[in-house]
Order: sequence, then C-alpha cells, then structure tokens
Amino acid sequence: MADVFEVTDEIKAQYGKETEPWVSEVTTTSVRMYARGIGSTDPLHYDVDYAKSQGFRSIVAPMGYVGTPVFHPDTNDGTFGFPRRGGGARLNLPTKGLLDGGTETEYFDYICAGDTLVETSHLAEVKVRGNMVFVTNEAVFKDQATGKVVAKQRLTSIHLG
Amino acid sequence: MPQVYFEDVQEGQEIPEIKKNCSTQQLVLWAAGSGDFYQIHYDKDFAQGTGLPGLIVHGALKHAFLGQLVHDWIGPGGQIRKFGCSYRGMDYPNQDIRCRGVVKKKFTENGKNLVELDVWTENPDGKKTSPGTATVALPSKA
Amino acid sequence: MADQTYFEDVKEGQELPSFTIAPDKQQLVKFAAGSGDFNPLHFDEKFPMLKAMGLQDNIVHGRFKYAQVGRLVFAFAGPKGRVKKFGVSYRGMDLIGKPITVKGVVTATRKDGGENLIDLDVWTEDADGKKTTPGTATVILPSKG
Repeated sequence: MADVFEVTDEIKAQYGKETEPWVSEVTTTSVRMYARGIGSTDPLHYDVDYAKSQGFRSIVAPMGYVGTPVFHPDTNDGTFGFPRRGGGARLNLPTKGLLDGGTETEYFDYICAGDTLVETSHLAEVKVRGNMVFVTNEAVFKDQATGKVVAKQRLTSIHLG
Repeated sequence: MPQVYFEDVQEGQEIPEIKKNCSTQQLVLWAAGSGDFYQIHYDKDFAQGTGLPGLIVHGALKHAFLGQLVHDWIGPGGQIRKFGCSYRGMDYPNQDIRCRGVVKKKFTENGKNLVELDVWTENPDGKKTSPGTATVALPSKA
Repeated sequence: MADQTYFEDVKEGQELPSFTIAPDKQQLVKFAAGSGDFNPLHFDEKFPMLKAMGLQDNIVHGRFKYAQVGRLVFAFAGPKGRVKKFGVSYRGMDLIGKPITVKGVVTATRKDGGENLIDLDVWTEDADGKKTTPGTATVILPSKG
C-alpha cells in the first residue's frame, strides 16, 4: 500500500520543540478513581494510613497513572481528555481511525497523592507505514515542589488513513 | 451573564430554559463525575435485561441539569436555598430534554428576598419527567 | 499486599505470578472515568468508528492493558522495591469481555550503580495465547544483605 502521509521537513522541524508546561494535581480522589478503573484492590492505592505505614508519602498512583490529565473545558480534548497544546495537533494527520501504539514510562520516584506534576512534552518522531502514521511524543514530569524529574514517558499513537 | 434582581421577578414568569440532549458519552462522563456506574446508563444489553427499552438518562443527571437551570438564572449574586425534584418518567440518550422553570411565589422573609419556583424536565411529548421545586434568594436593587 | 521479594531470591527465567481478567463494559467505563479517556470506541457498540475499523465489538483501551502490566510489576517490586521503567506496545486488540492474561518473566538480574536490578519481559495475552501487549520492565529490588 502506498503511504497515506508524508513526513515533511516542516514536521521534522517540530521534533524536540517543548510545549508549554502543563500542571496536574495528583489527588487522593484521582488516584482512587484510577485504581478503581484498573480493577485494583491494593490498599496502597486507597488507604492513606496504610500507604504511610509502608513508607510512602500518601496513597501511591498505580503504575500507568502518569499522564492522566486534569480537565479544563477550554484547553482539553473533550473525548480523550488530554491538553491540546499545539505540537502534534497541527500535523494534519489522517483521521479515519486512532489507535494507541505504545506506552513506556521511566520512574525516578513513585508518584503519590498530594504531588503536583509539571509536564512538558515534545514531538519525537513521525513514521509512516502504508495507511498507518506512527506519532511518538516524549513527556517529562517534574515535581512542582522539588523541581526534580519524577517520570519520563514515551507515547506512540497510530493515526489511520 | 446579567444579574437578575428580586424587583424584576414576577409570579408566573418563566425563567430561561436550557435544552439538553445526552450522548452516550455524556452519560459515561456523568458516571465518571458522580461515581454511579450502574450499567443501565451505558450498557444496552444490560439495560434491556432489566426490562428497560434501552439506555436511560440518570435521574441524578436530570437533577443536576435542573440545578444548572436555576444556577444560571440566579446569577453570581443569587443563592440557591433549597432545591429538589422527583423522577416520574424516563429520558433517553439522543433525545431532547427541556429544562424549564416558572416563578410560583415571591416574598420577603427575615430580610431575605426569596423566590419559589416550579422546575422540571420535559420530554419531547411534553411530559414532565422530573418535576421539582426550588427556593432561591435574589439580591435587591435597593 | 504480597510479601516483599528480595534480589537474592530472583532467578533468570523465573515467572511472575500471572493473573487473568475479562474486563466488562462497566470496568472499561470505570477506566474511562479514572483515566479521562472517554473515547466511545470502548463503551458504545454503535460508535461509527468501530464499524469503520472492522471491529465486532468495543475494544479494551491499550492504556488499560498497560496499567494491568503495571499492576504485575508493582506487586512484584513490593513496598520496598520500585518499578524503574516499563513499557509496552499495542500489537493486537482485545475485545470487551474476553480474557486477558497478564504475564512476566525474568530475563536478567544485575547490579548497576548500586541498584539491584531485575529485567523482565512482560506482556498480556489473549485466549489464543497471542501476545497483544508485549513489553519490557526493569524493577529495583531490595537486598537481604
């Protein structure tokens, strides 16, 4: 199949350009809702006293939680919830279908309720295989209080043409 | 949004209605916001298994719509004192739900300017599916 | 909470305790709630994109499967260990209500920069044994010493 999309120099010029910082509060409610969403009953995700007794600051965000956005109607996508911050949004990607291609997270510390994360991300790569366009973004999450990097995440989405 | 004042309100007056039409996604968003994950609101087979014709709109969501109706009307200077509705009929996704209200009584009590309203949701047949009442305090021009 | 696993107890080739789930629509709606991803692809069987993509039924969120792999490695790390890195790619779709088994196997044990590291292959597989979400993880474990 012929490629449905061309990775132009204009697109390549966007590689590595950092978005504006995006702030999200990790709350006891958001952690519990996510844990409920994955069907976990581990008290480390629900019970603050128990989590503290195990050496954590508060309940621990389940692995996979990183990147869960806080929602504001002016700035976030109504379906996927993620913040629209330019970057990938202006690539004019095909829209017949959208699939998740892959997720990779590197943790420097566990994320707990009460943390406030500041995320910046950039477009890392666009690849085309036939009718599939693979778009990879890389995000860095810092703890707002300490400025330390707590996680890095690589996300690949597949846009179908 | 312009502020409505106590002096502007007449008994029998209808307040500006709001119109809703819930997508299935809206019902799932409500499940998320409320924590009510009962499947009759998003799982058609489950809903039909309980004898319903299909998915139905959460009663509490219609209650929230009526809350929005009143909240929008009273403006930032007003205050909702009391508010409730009962669920008398079902509403379905992708069908219009008119949220309406009419002023029943206005009076002053303990220095507060109070307005009582009948509020309700109405289906496309004109049936009141969630009738209720509200009492609000409004600011005075004086 | 499972007991703590220590670095010295782990051998190459060792399998992690696997688990099987069959997420129903309610579970996926809860995941939509928890993750903020409200794509109707995952809960509305009449959503037009399903048909356009040739799918018979709603599909499980990739990130849901990722989080299941996360549960596996988080439990393995225990409260004194830490998940350092884990990633998967989404190679196959899983339909709502069908069993998904979450598995992992130790590929290496090593020490690096004072950390006791365990490398793992991790994945989810469907009822036919197809790996729909293959990936890798690295976990730091405490030492008995």
